[in-house]
Amino acid sequence: MVLPVVACLALAAVLVWQIRNATSTVSLIETSDRRIALATRVELLTIDEETGLRGYQTTGDPRFLEPYTKAEMQLAQAIDEMRSPAIGAPIDLSDFLIQHDAWRKGFAEPVISMVHAGGQTNDIALNLAGKDEMDRMRGALNVIIQGSEQRRTERIRLWHQQTRDLRVAVTMLALTIGLLIAWFTRDQLHAVSDAFQRALDREKLRGKELFESEQNLRTTLVSIGDGVITCDTRGCIQMMNRVAEELTGWAESEARGKPLDEVFAIVNESTRQTVESPVAKVQRLGRVVGLANHTVLIRRDKSEIAIDDSGAPIRNEAGDLIGIVMVFRDVTMERRTHAALLANERLAVAGRLAATIAHEIHNPLDSVANLLYLLQHDPRPEDEAHFLDLAQSELARVTQISRAMLGLYRESRAPVPIDLKETIEEVLLLLEGRIHALDIHLTSQLPPDVVIDGFPAELRQVFTNLITNAIEAAGKDGSVRIRVMPQHKLPSSPAGPPVDGAIIEITDSGPGIPPDVRDRLFQPFVTTKGEQGTGLGLWVSQGIVRKLGGSIDLAPNVDGPGTTARVFLASKPTLNPGGE
Amino acid sequence: MERRGHLILCVDDEVVGLRVRKILLERAGYKVLTAPDGRSGLELFASEPVAAVVLDYAMPGMHGGEVAKRMRDAKPDVPILLLSAYVGLPDEVSSLVDVYMTKGEGAPALLSKLGDLLSSDDASYPQAAQARP
Repeated sequence: MVLPVVACLALAAVLVWQIRNATSTVSLIETSDRRIALATRVELLTIDEETGLRGYQTTGDPRFLEPYTKAEMQLAQAIDEMRSPAIGAPIDLSDFLIQHDAWRKGFAEPVISMVHAGGQTNDIALNLAGKDEMDRMRGALNVIIQGSEQRRTERIRLWHQQTRDLRVAVTMLALTIGLLIAWFTRDQLHAVSDAFQRALDREKLRGKELFESEQNLRTTLVSIGDGVITCDTRGCIQMMNRVAEELTGWAESEARGKPLDEVFAIVNESTRQTVESPVAKVQRLGRVVGLANHTVLIRRDKSEIAIDDSGAPIRNEAGDLIGIVMVFRDVTMERRTHAALLANERLAVAGRLAATIAHEIHNPLDSVANLLYLLQHDPRPEDEAHFLDLAQSELARVTQISRAMLGLYRESRAPVPIDLKETIEEVLLLLEGRIHALDIHLTSQLPPDVVIDGFPAELRQVFTNLITNAIEAAGKDGSVRIRVMPQHKLPSSPAGPPVDGAIIEITDSGPGIPPDVRDRLFQPFVTTKGEQGTGLGLWVSQGIVRKLGGSIDLAPNVDGPGTTARVFLASKPTLNPGGE
Repeated sequence: MERRGHLILCVDDEVVGLRVRKILLERAGYKVLTAPDGRSGLELFASEPVAAVVLDYAMPGMHGGEVAKRMRDAKPDVPILLLSAYVGLPDEVSSLVDVYMTKGEGAPALLSKLGDLLSSDDASYPQAAQARP
């Protein structure tokens, strides 16, 4: 950067010097002009002198001599001027002055004196001598003029030379500056272009990374084992992965831009009513939502699969909702497994009861059979009425037990009113053998007419499970207490869900539930009974109770060892299919 | 229907069942003692010259298996017929008694099995029992 500037400055200095040279040359030329002009004036003055002298010579009138005297004065002035340093180097006037003096003294002044004296001056020789003097003087003057002119010509040539040099210098300077500017701008341009190129490269790289990351994400989405669908805020499909394509039966290319409801048609498994779209739900709640239970997806070919689904909002950096993502999966198999487990547990409950029931049925049956044998083989009139009475009451026992047992299996479609006292007493009847065998001290507080709506078979199963658990926990000589407590909504209580219903409390005097099991009590296959238990009882019971909108929990007794199971059932439950 | 009047001990917590069984056995010619639970049954078993025992399995306090074991310990020669309302009993219980049968099999089965027990028991003694009708 410094070198070009120095070069420029040097060139500029040369230019200034040249301009100054040229200017001084011009002033020298002007000096030459002035010298020539002066010399010419001197020549004219000598002519005036000669003319004035001639006129006086001819006329003798002193008035004609006036130009002569005037010219003589002016001549002295001009000569002074020529000698002044203002016109450069002093001009060598000696030759001219000698000749002029010679003419004036040798010719002019004697002529004037002679005319003044009234003499004749027509003498040819005299005049010729004067003319010679004058010619010589003019010759000397001409030498001066010619010298000046020659010098002027030289100076003009010099000026021309200088002008040419100046032009060259200016051109060179212009070229240099131009080059410098070009070089400099080229440098700048390079810098700009480099920066641009770098920015471009960066963008390209970032674009590539973005593309790769998007590809990565896309691959991830595609590889996810669950169906994934994303929608914009209007609920139109933007993207779906392969599993979603398989589950819905729609290809992504066809589904894109279509309203979600068209591709992802979901209904409730049992009511067949359209389920609120997850998009609407997410928009309404603005958070992650799970799908209602027992949801069925109607595929493009109208076949159906059970699905489990959740929806979540997609937000931009500012937190605005820009879309919704849904994840769903086929739970048909799970539902079947779930159903199989439920059936299995029902069978297990029945199996556990079978022994008790066999006992309860075989005892009266044995008596009846013996009585019939006696009546048949050894008929005595006095026995008859008594034996028949006994047989009838024993048969009534069998009927009662078989009815209670049937209650475990009969499934009603809609909830029916259930008298809790009756139901629990039926269950206790079935379990009587076991209660008896273990010498359980059973106390029950079963107020009449506590009625709730529910499914009798299922509730019997719940009570059978809980009471069996209590009996087994209490063990030999233990005690079990069963209480039914009606719950009434207080008129003064603040607005909230209705609490009309009943709490069924089953308290045992057993050792309590180990803390490590307590948290997992309601999970399937968790049991404290080893080989004897299926680990499904509480899990199934919870499902049943929750389906009725109730609750079930087990807690250690506060006033001693053992556990209390507490079930709340609403009088008029809002059905909650799936129980979750 | 003529019997020699063997003394049979019946143990069962089922009141009606026990009563009917007592009548049945008495009409068949046996003398019958009854006990409503294992403990009183063992007392009678110890104090009375019991020829055979008809024992219920499921009873409060002490189940039939336990009662049978104690009777075997006391008088190993007295045959025991175990009655049960349950379909399946543990092997260690059924192997302990002479005969094991399910309630509800009927009076003829009970009488014939009891008769067999007593006659085979008699066979080991000089005064062998005569065949049942």
